[in-house]
Amino acid sequence: MSALTLTPVSSPATRASWFTQTGQVFKRWIVGTWRQAWGPVMSLLQPIIWIVLFGQVYSALGSLPAFAADGYIGYLVPGVLMMTVLYSGAWAGTGYIDDMNSGVMDQLLSAPISRSAIVTGQLLQQLVINGLQSAIVLGIGALAGARYPGGVGGILLALVAATLLATIFCCASSAVALITRNQVALIGLSQMIVLPATFLSTTMMPAELLPGWVQSVAQWNPMTWAVELGRAGLDGSAFDGSADGALLLARFAGLLVLAALAFLWTVRSIRGYQRSL
Amino acid sequence: MSANAIEAEGLVKTYRSGRKAPVEALRELSFAVPSGEVFGLLGPNGAGKSTTTKILTTLSLPTSGTARVAGSDVVRAAAAVRARIGYVSQGTSTDPLLTVRENLELAARLRGVGRADAAARAIRLIEEFALTGNAARPTGKLSGGTRRRVDVAAALVHSPRVLFLDEPTTGLDPEARSAMWSEIRRLSAEDSLTVVLTTHYLEEADRLADRVMIVDRGTKVVEGTPHALKAALAGDSVRVELFEPDADRVRRAAASVAGLREPLVEVSGPTGALIARADDGSAALGPLIQALDAAGVAFGAASVSGPTLDDVYLHHVGHTFEVAGPVTEGAAA
Repeated sequence: MSALTLTPVSSPATRASWFTQTGQVFKRWIVGTWRQAWGPVMSLLQPIIWIVLFGQVYSALGSLPAFAADGYIGYLVPGVLMMTVLYSGAWAGTGYIDDMNSGVMDQLLSAPISRSAIVTGQLLQQLVINGLQSAIVLGIGALAGARYPGGVGGILLALVAATLLATIFCCASSAVALITRNQVALIGLSQMIVLPATFLSTTMMPAELLPGWVQSVAQWNPMTWAVELGRAGLDGSAFDGSADGALLLARFAGLLVLAALAFLWTVRSIRGYQRSL
Repeated sequence: MSANAIEAEGLVKTYRSGRKAPVEALRELSFAVPSGEVFGLLGPNGAGKSTTTKILTTLSLPTSGTARVAGSDVVRAAAAVRARIGYVSQGTSTDPLLTVRENLELAARLRGVGRADAAARAIRLIEEFALTGNAARPTGKLSGGTRRRVDVAAALVHSPRVLFLDEPTTGLDPEARSAMWSEIRRLSAEDSLTVVLTTHYLEEADRLADRVMIVDRGTKVVEGTPHALKAALAGDSVRVELFEPDADRVRRAAASVAGLREPLVEVSGPTGALIARADDGSAALGPLIQALDAAGVAFGAASVSGPTLDDVYLHHVGHTFEVAGPVTEGAAA
């Protein structure tokens, strides 16, 4: 066997740029996702089941005046879009738990890498998966009879809202994973949050059909903010002046602030994890 | 940069967790490692080896004390330290879903190596570590020994000045362990590389390290070359396996044998061992067997050997390496 010839890379202070670091972390996760395709495939099947199931179960609601011309399915699709993102994001932290248990996290933390690049790289992978899921939800919705009079702009608004919601829940899940370091705790907490977040919102039912106390809670629920933004985009009401523009803007800002806070929480949690070692 | 690759001064690490009593993992640990040396950090589980490694690799912050690695302070200039070290942790260093080649390239790219250079370095390390046949396989599908070689290769891909190997052979079968020892010996020939080898295998440290430091309960017990440490113990080591031993009776029997010193009786369930030192082990063994027999002690195999690192540890700590816990009975120096 030949002797090693170790040549210094360059001056010791050299570091990969933040974008290179983030890109490499993203590549690592996306390649891994591709090789474990059953996970994303299952998460793509889930919204199809939801649209078919909820669309059928609640189809009679479509005749109520609260719903648009294309009935309940048109109302449901933005809700399922956000549900998909919410449920998918809630699992994002499991990747960190695997890394902590295997020792890969120690490798990343002992390398000259920005902690925010570690978080951003993994988040980008989650957002790419969420983008694919969102496109499939909109496609299945269209096949099921939903129409999107908001056009391309409306679809983009819905996707941006979904991305912000995904960022909030992916980051929150990651932060919880880094704090608890426990798969069971993460799953338990996720399940405790996602169902109330879904049903205490206007995901499946307009606010006026919800009980008073649920309406009060729903108006402060980020799930409602994202669903209503998506709905206003897809049905075009965000652009034709029929929706409350100030309210939509406030909700958009709210999602943006929460996404930023959740991101900072994850970066803080990864530093906290390291401090505890 | 000084001639020392590592300088640690008064390292203290105390873990605090809620209402539990604080755990002092390191207590004023100081040592230095000259550049180019293979340094064995030796101690039983819980001795503070991994905590030391975590501080030196910037993973963990010391509660107090300072450490410099490759010329930079591990707390104040952590990024500079990270750029100059390679770390093979007790777990795996590589993503199980990525191939060997992808893992090596990833490790290089994250450390500032350009795309083409990273690919070239990955190919070279794949050849040097005899991984060619596995280069396109995900590391999660490799055997433990092969995966460990990938871990070491990944830690070297950016040509670090200091390589930390934390228990690199734990869990490996004898064949894979032997292969890993060959790799570490090969690395030790590289003058520009300092290797810190953390292990709880005495034989491993004895074979591979230029110098060892034995730690126990967070403090340094003794430090030196394996040869010097063993040479400092005059005479032989005598060991007799025991069945259902009565420690007091065994000790009394041993005390009656002339030339036998530092007798220690270790009991582990229904079996145990008497370990002692003697200027002439062969001469002391006969009388010892007679004394044990006369005392009605059931015994099995008996052996006399030159001093080992186990004897060094026993001499300085007062119990053997394997049972660095409360099961020890008897007297020691």
